[in-house]
Amino acid sequence: MQEFLELLPRFAVAALLTLELSLAGAALGLAGGFLLHLFRLGGGRVFALGCGVYVWLLRGTPFLSQLFIVYFGLPVLGLRLSAPEATVVSLAFYSAAYFSEIFRAGWAAIPRGQIEAAHAFGMTSRARFCHIELPQALAFALPLLANQLILVIKESAVASIITVPELTMTTSNIIASTYSYVMPYALLIAGYWLLTQSVAWLAQQAARRIPFLRTPS
Amino acid sequence: MDTPDLFTRCLGYLPALLDGALNTLWVAGVGVGCGFLAGILLHRLLSSTNPWFSRPARVYVSIIRGTPVLVQLLVCFYLPSALGVEVPGLLAATIGLSLNSAAYQSQILGAGFAAIPRGQIEAARTFNLSRSQTLWHVEVPQVLALTLPALVSEMIDVVKASAVVSVISVTDLMRVGQQLSSSTYRPLEVYSMAALCYLALTSLLSLAAWVCQRRLARR
Repeated sequence: MQEFLELLPRFAVAALLTLELSLAGAALGLAGGFLLHLFRLGGGRVFALGCGVYVWLLRGTPFLSQLFIVYFGLPVLGLRLSAPEATVVSLAFYSAAYFSEIFRAGWAAIPRGQIEAAHAFGMTSRARFCHIELPQALAFALPLLANQLILVIKESAVASIITVPELTMTTSNIIASTYSYVMPYALLIAGYWLLTQSVAWLAQQAARRIPFLRTPS
Repeated sequence: MDTPDLFTRCLGYLPALLDGALNTLWVAGVGVGCGFLAGILLHRLLSSTNPWFSRPARVYVSIIRGTPVLVQLLVCFYLPSALGVEVPGLLAATIGLSLNSAAYQSQILGAGFAAIPRGQIEAARTFNLSRSQTLWHVEVPQVLALTLPALVSEMIDVVKASAVVSVISVTDLMRVGQQLSSSTYRPLEVYSMAALCYLALTSLLSLAAWVCQRRLARR
């Protein structure tokens, strides 16, 4: 019990860093993924092909190798990032590929007839995008987006390998200094589990409470 | 000393990287294989009507799916040694990946088991097949055929997740990349080559998944 109380503050700080890194990475990735998706929708063949190759590259390789290229490889080209910066940048590039695929699925789920109807009513393409496509695609994509955020939180553990003092790294440090294994590992698992479960719970609540996110059933 | 050009250098990395890629495939393959068997067991426990079986199984799946693979591997590697049992890195890696994959595969297999008509199981019982005979000779072959595309994409996930086994001193693709990078001082090209090797592995696997899917659709 004493050990538990002593370790708790350090874990709380580390969990906060994990959350910050993941949220920053996922937010940038969300924006990047949305841009990628817009390019795919309206940018012509070359853009669509480029986006497709990007998604293929990023989804076909492990996050660890992407992180190593950014953290150890880019300094060769003169771009030196600190470990937390490299983590956020890599998480953003990594998750943008997945987010763009989620947006694509969301848009694919909109019935074609609605878009034709919007045309027939003379809606501008911007009004159609904002009032017809976006709300429905978001409502469809919400659980997938939350799931992707959970994946980003889990992937951020890899940042411990390049010595970012987040949850996993902090636990390793505690173990190295106290030689006690069971309690730190139990707290580590509980920390990640609580983070991922609360994201899942929040997404569930949002889907139920926020009117336009409610999926028509 | 003359330095060969970029292309020749990258070719020079290939033999070592391919060696690492084989290790990666081996660890991931054994992980998915053992994970399949454990996944069947886990599915049985999950669908059991006895809460003493189904509840712990649900907690297990939730914990595995809610925590990073890296953490699971570290626990598999360091916790036994803390309790006085030395586990070599390779063994810890395969156990860790199996335990991880079992949780995900139990979900995939669940869909497969649900697709088997009840009548078949009743027929098997009528023919006096035991429960384990029904499982292994009637259900599992069909479930395997039905879920093969999903299982191959699980294999892709495990190949990618297995990159972190380099941390517990398994000489997989990523570890070979780290060794090459520290001996050549050319991290950008070495890690890019390693990433391309992963890309080749995952692309071949997704091609295999696509072929499985086509076969399945044709039946």
